[in-house]
Amino acid sequence: MNRGPFIFIGVLIIVSLSWAITLVKPIQEGGNLSPVGKGADRVPALLAGLAEQGREVYQEQGCVNCHTQQTLVIGSDLERGWGDRQSMPLDYIDQNVVFTGTNRVGPDLANVGERRTDADWHYLHFFNPQIVTPGSNMPPFTFLFEKRKIVGQSSDRALKLPAEFQDTIEEGYEYVPTRDADALVAYMLGLSQAYDIEEAPTPEKLAYK
Amino acid sequence: MNLICNLFSSIFPSLEGDGSQREREQKIDSSMRFAVLGLIKGSVFWLLVASLLGLIVSVKLISPTYLSEYAWLTYGKAYPAFWNALVYGWLFNAGLACVAWIIARLGGRPIGNSGVLIIATAAWNLAVFIGLFGIFRGDQTPYRMLEFPTYAAPFLFAAFIGIGIWILLAFKARAYRSSFASQWYALAGVFCFVWIFTVAQVMIFSLPAQGVFQSVVAAWFGGNLIGLVVAPFAFATIYYLIPKALGQHIIGYRQSGIAFWSWIFFSSAAGLASLVNGPFPAWVASVGVVASFGLFLPLSVFTMQFLTSLFASFSKIWDTVSVRYVFYGVVAFIVATVLTIIGSLREVQELTQFSQFADGVRYLFLVGFAGMAFTGMVYYILPRLLNKELPNSSLADLQFWMQGLGIFLIAVGMLSGGYAHGSLLNGSTADTIDILKATDSYLFLTALGFVIAAFGNFAYAVSFIWILLSPRTEKEKSAGLIEPAPELEYTHS
Repeated sequence: MNRGPFIFIGVLIIVSLSWAITLVKPIQEGGNLSPVGKGADRVPALLAGLAEQGREVYQEQGCVNCHTQQTLVIGSDLERGWGDRQSMPLDYIDQNVVFTGTNRVGPDLANVGERRTDADWHYLHFFNPQIVTPGSNMPPFTFLFEKRKIVGQSSDRALKLPAEFQDTIEEGYEYVPTRDADALVAYMLGLSQAYDIEEAPTPEKLAYK
Repeated sequence: MNLICNLFSSIFPSLEGDGSQREREQKIDSSMRFAVLGLIKGSVFWLLVASLLGLIVSVKLISPTYLSEYAWLTYGKAYPAFWNALVYGWLFNAGLACVAWIIARLGGRPIGNSGVLIIATAAWNLAVFIGLFGIFRGDQTPYRMLEFPTYAAPFLFAAFIGIGIWILLAFKARAYRSSFASQWYALAGVFCFVWIFTVAQVMIFSLPAQGVFQSVVAAWFGGNLIGLVVAPFAFATIYYLIPKALGQHIIGYRQSGIAFWSWIFFSSAAGLASLVNGPFPAWVASVGVVASFGLFLPLSVFTMQFLTSLFASFSKIWDTVSVRYVFYGVVAFIVATVLTIIGSLREVQELTQFSQFADGVRYLFLVGFAGMAFTGMVYYILPRLLNKELPNSSLADLQFWMQGLGIFLIAVGMLSGGYAHGSLLNGSTADTIDILKATDSYLFLTALGFVIAAFGNFAYAVSFIWILLSPRTEKEKSAGLIEPAPELEYTHS
């Protein structure tokens, strides 16, 4: 105990053991999954190009700090309609960065594309969450929209705010989604794990057990 | 192990007699004054940054439109920036300053190469700056405590290697053959960070593991960063401060070896418990739960050693600034570790998972335990390093109570709020907005805690700058101002 090398070797052995057992072993066993099926039947489903870019916006803005992307069969996720089954490692194999997350200040987003299918809802929600979810503590992402002076006719891409929110923006101006906003909304619409994975636990299978 | 320890301590070279002890200590201090002060300056700076960010984050949770027009400061960026400034900025600088000083002082010899430590310290702080800048710029990664963009990692790594090498050289140059528990923990913390940081960077970013396994590596890293790096540095300061500042040898010191190895062993996998029920191999999470439970062994030894030693000189605790911080830190450590153990249980996680509960435990452990221990140590180091009295002890008193109260409120707000939030979120189908309404008062409590803690941290900064700038009195110019601390007792039971 009185020598540096003794402590060094002891600590190295313990930490290496932990590394080998809890990281290397599971990765060797389960970290080499390949997609099942081809084309439209491919599991997991692939994201479209714009949605892939939306992943980057999702990462930049740190959405993962409030939203997880994993539905659990234990707890009330399925009753909330956040998914139909347990999320599985296979769901994430195409993702070079995963957003499983650890905090749920807001709801889980693993299947948000299944339950929020309206793009306009998402645009309004990002612009100001109070419009569609009053009382939410999600910050507005107004900076994902470009503020433009209305010259002549307003743009057909401009946000159509409900009447009671009209006075929150300056008269004679309109807000048009930037490419980042488009990509992020495409990503939201594309987020889905709504395909069957045979091994995935579901409430029925758990009940059968 | 204890036999060897006894053997060596019985043939210790006694350095008494070659000059007064205080003069010898001053030679050691002056050999590293600039470098250690640099680390402390960095720590105080980042503490202020972190307390400001913490305040912003807690207000944003209550009032989402607060500062929402700044894209670079949206909650998703401010939140990781807060935690990273807290750990890599404040705790690492402070912890390394304490550990470097302890290693040099326990070694009993002036240490050369202070240039290495100075350059490495500057590089470390630059790396933290680059990392935070990267987060604000939008280059963060989504893994807890690894959010610094990948381009900051090499700087962070190289700077740490520099500091680590200095600490190893300082340890190697010691005059005493034997070593004290503080030194084991210091070395273990240095070794572990190099190892876990390499593993995390390689397995997540350089040769990424497939899909969810990146999250497994991140959970492993996050747990180990706290358990194997920050905590050992804090143990090192507590093992040092109780004998030196309180004049009370560590009761039950013989058991330190058990505590050391069992802490390293169990904490090296404890972080994996947070993966329970997720899309990860279930047995990996189970290993984490079992490892968390193993922490009871070192926890009981630490509790026995620290509390009995502190209680043995209880009346003196409140008279000494440093020891007061150690006392707070020890209590926070016990509470936070018990919560870590209980919180890892599947039944409890079904109620608290994904809520602020885990953040609360983490905050209590990092700031209540490690942060307070480091602050106490800095208050022990500064007068000796500068050969000045603390210019205003009531400011330090104020700081202690403000920080203590602030950390308490933050922890209570996050823990009880997290429990309320999590049990509604995981155990019912209540609407998420209604759940938010139900936890409003806890969010407010946390924000209040951040305000109070920020005042305490500000008082700390004022105190620090004051002692740096105040001129020395006649008495302080003579070397004999500070009474020599009692020699450490290596083998007392």
